[in-house]
Amino acid sequence: MKIGTQSTRWAVALALALALGGAAVAVAEEEPTRDEYVDQLEAICKPDALATQRVMKGARSDIQHERLKVAAGKFAKANSIFGSTVKEISAVTRPPADRERLKTWFGYLKRQESYLTKITAKLRAEEAIAAQRLTARFIHNGNLANNVVLPFGFEYCSFKFSRFG
Amino acid sequence: MRPRRLGGRRAAGLALGLLFALLAWSAGAANGERSQRGDLIVALQGKISPLQLPRHGPAPVHLRLEGGLLTADGDLLPRVDRVEIGFPAKGVISTRGLPTCTVQRLRNATSEGALAACRPALIGHGSVEADVLLPDQGAFRIHARLLVFNGPRKQGHRLLLLHGYAPKLPTTVVLPFRLQRQRGRFGITIGADLPAALGPWPHLARFTLDLGRHYSFQGRTQSFISATCPIPPIFTEGFFSLARITYTLVGGREVRQAITRRCRGD
Repeated sequence: MKIGTQSTRWAVALALALALGGAAVAVAEEEPTRDEYVDQLEAICKPDALATQRVMKGARSDIQHERLKVAAGKFAKANSIFGSTVKEISAVTRPPADRERLKTWFGYLKRQESYLTKITAKLRAEEAIAAQRLTARFIHNGNLANNVVLPFGFEYCSFKFSRFG
Repeated sequence: MRPRRLGGRRAAGLALGLLFALLAWSAGAANGERSQRGDLIVALQGKISPLQLPRHGPAPVHLRLEGGLLTADGDLLPRVDRVEIGFPAKGVISTRGLPTCTVQRLRNATSEGALAACRPALIGHGSVEADVLLPDQGAFRIHARLLVFNGPRKQGHRLLLLHGYAPKLPTTVVLPFRLQRQRGRFGITIGADLPAALGPWPHLARFTLDLGRHYSFQGRTQSFISATCPIPPIFTEGFFSLARITYTLVGGREVRQAITRRCRGD
């Protein structure tokens, strides 16, 4: 019995070790490198960035001609695209070494989304000055976000105000 | 364009490079907008003054740009083959009635000499730094003073002559930037190829450039650069793409950075 018990313990330990080892291997396989992560995100961001440019076309002219509600509609579409992009890229597994940095970045992205929502609301309410102030913060926040992920070399996942009209 | 070889052939080639490499910042690149491709970071910042501009019709402005290249890991900077700076198509650049200078008058001149020869054509000034790596020697940085003069027209395009002088390695370089219009957001560009004569040593690091000139022509005040802030009365500020710099690196790769700034409606 004693021998049997010891054998069982060894077997359990071995099984555990194998299981843990296997899990570790599995986790290691799922955790991307920074380059892999960037590729995954850019593949998501590219079509959305291009779609944003399309829906925002003419927004600058709308604002110059005081068609604020028309511009609001375009900002709303851009906001919808941006929100779904952030949601999608949030779900991508992050490289372990970059988790803190990316957490900060996603914080900025959430704030960007919030600014877009507020800008849309202010334009819709034809509160021009409020929309203008929020736009300044939106641009500043976008630049801060870019600085956080500078080493990632994002093209489509980086903030570019030119995409917004 | 051939440099004056004051400090020996090698020194001349070096100094040349510096001068026109137009760019690259090191630690100072922390400000302004930045982007990174691989290990290379491109930075640009700038402003126009005054910030307050008429909503209708252009007013005289000055433009200041600072930019540069740096490497994330501190490695040697890549060499730049071409520099192009784009400005908004709605800006106005005018050289009407402004005297011109020629490459020949600037070619062998120090900064003081260039001013003595062509001050009436002066439209800007600045500085440039470049890292120089000589074979079997450590890298060192060279500083040069820049002056920008209104130049002649060539093949239908106005030339802006960038004169660089590095006093510690007394050498002069004159680089013609072509001013042209094109389609797109940055509809006004000034660009120049950095001549092979600069040699393989200089690696552009950072630059500053102040452009602007008010002058009188036919009894009226003119400005080299003018701008407007075309926003409706319900707004007090507007946002616009102020400038974009594009570097073409050796091998053909391009890196660029654009900056967005605001203006206040008068």
